[in-house]
Amino acid sequence: MDERILLVTRQWALAQPVVSAFVTSVVRDFADRDDVLQEIAVAIIQSSHRYDPERSFVGWALGIAQNQVKSYLRAKHRNRLVFNDEVIALVSDTFQSESPDEMHKLEFLNECLEKLEGRSKQLCELRYANDLKPAAIAQKVQMSANAVAKALQRIRDQLRACIQSKIITERA
Amino acid sequence: MSFDPQELIDGYLDDRLSPNELEQLETWIQECPQNAREFASAAMLHDRLRDEQVARSGIARFVVDGCKPNPAEQDSEFESTPKVRIASIWRWNGLRSIATAASVLATAAGLLIILWNGFGDSVAVAGVVELNRLIATSVLSFDQTYQIDVEDVALARRRGGRGRDASQMRPPKPPMDAAILHVRGQSNFVLIRKTVDGADFVTGSNGRSSWAARPDGPVRVSSDLSRFNRDVPGHEFHMPLSNINEGLSQMRVAYDLHVLPIENPDGDVSFGEGASRLLVAVKKKGYPGPRRVEITYSVSSGHIEQLRFIEMPYGPDRLTLRLTLVEERDLGPDFFDHSSHHTSDRTVIEE
Repeated sequence: MDERILLVTRQWALAQPVVSAFVTSVVRDFADRDDVLQEIAVAIIQSSHRYDPERSFVGWALGIAQNQVKSYLRAKHRNRLVFNDEVIALVSDTFQSESPDEMHKLEFLNECLEKLEGRSKQLCELRYANDLKPAAIAQKVQMSANAVAKALQRIRDQLRACIQSKIITERA
Repeated sequence: MSFDPQELIDGYLDDRLSPNELEQLETWIQECPQNAREFASAAMLHDRLRDEQVARSGIARFVVDGCKPNPAEQDSEFESTPKVRIASIWRWNGLRSIATAASVLATAAGLLIILWNGFGDSVAVAGVVELNRLIATSVLSFDQTYQIDVEDVALARRRGGRGRDASQMRPPKPPMDAAILHVRGQSNFVLIRKTVDGADFVTGSNGRSSWAARPDGPVRVSSDLSRFNRDVPGHEFHMPLSNINEGLSQMRVAYDLHVLPIENPDGDVSFGEGASRLLVAVKKKGYPGPRRVEITYSVSSGHIEQLRFIEMPYGPDRLTLRLTLVEERDLGPDFFDHSSHHTSDRTVIEE
């Protein structure tokens, strides 16, 4: 196999979480995220001959991701509320510059998820494992959609606080 | 500032913001780099939560075409099962073992081998992979305009129409040859055919209604989206020319797919700009449809350049016709409405 394709494949495996987070930040539906990500993966490998190894791979991949995300938004969500192009570009730049630290922090997420119990655990599973939005979750758990949304916000806050405390412990 | 940014971010990620709130969030993100970082951090957590929960739930499936999860294995508490597709198996997780990473790379390499060296037994797999890519690219593309050329018509022996007087006979269909087809997504199309007098006979759909604007008489509009594509080849077997995406999807089931080697304009066999590839689909026994479909597409972008339908049933006849992409651009918000294709003084009848 071409050396360049091997290099790009290796780099892609490492950059993929950042690109995935960027796609999620714009596309939001997880099933659609997977579709768009698949398109990006194919586009990246097919454009491997254009990649300059002197440049940041993540930046290059995010550039391709931006194009794919915009195409997706044009085709699928003409009437849906989405970020404007300027914000999409800004978010992409932010992911490129901030990602290594953030990725490291998230290595504690699994441990923090272990601490969720009862209703919090259930809501988190319904939202993320089952890809249900608050309104759909509300029907399953006999809560209002607003209450589910608030609860999800609190769960994320708890997880962030847990991750932060683990980082502090690690550094101590 | 009267709003809580974290609340806006959470509302955005859960798809619950109003247009005003979205605008507030956009303004806030653009205010300073720290705000943008905060948003990116929340999105990363959100994204990783999905992967962690899918991994934990134990019901993730690597779904490939025709390979559905076994319902008996699904968690009965949950109705929907997350589907993890090809890209998702490339997901790196810092907590996963090196073995997982090696597996990820091996799978990626396997896909590459299929894509680039798709010969022998892997040809059929490569065909499916490539067809999926063409479908995805087609969905994500701008509006497309095709020129239709009829290469050959094999006429069936006519039974003479005995027992039906002239008033009961349908008027002849306008010829497909030299017709122009505009398509957008899954259900928007405009097909412009020329009658023998050279006038435009236009049919179309804007996704909410279908319509026909004949050269004379009233413009007819129907809420039945298939009402006016019944004289367009392919509609009987779910491969209407007016919905290329549906046709491509149908090919996954009813056709054997073969990817031919890359062809470059300059004869070079390397994988470069301008290189085209031919995907050949041969109909399986027992399925209706054209005997063979040939799709020429750009290797680099996955954009379809030409579709060729060989021996496509068209009433009792068989057509061999070619669709050549002539333009790809946004045709504007009203292009697929009937009013864009006739003068405003025409009578419009809602059926």
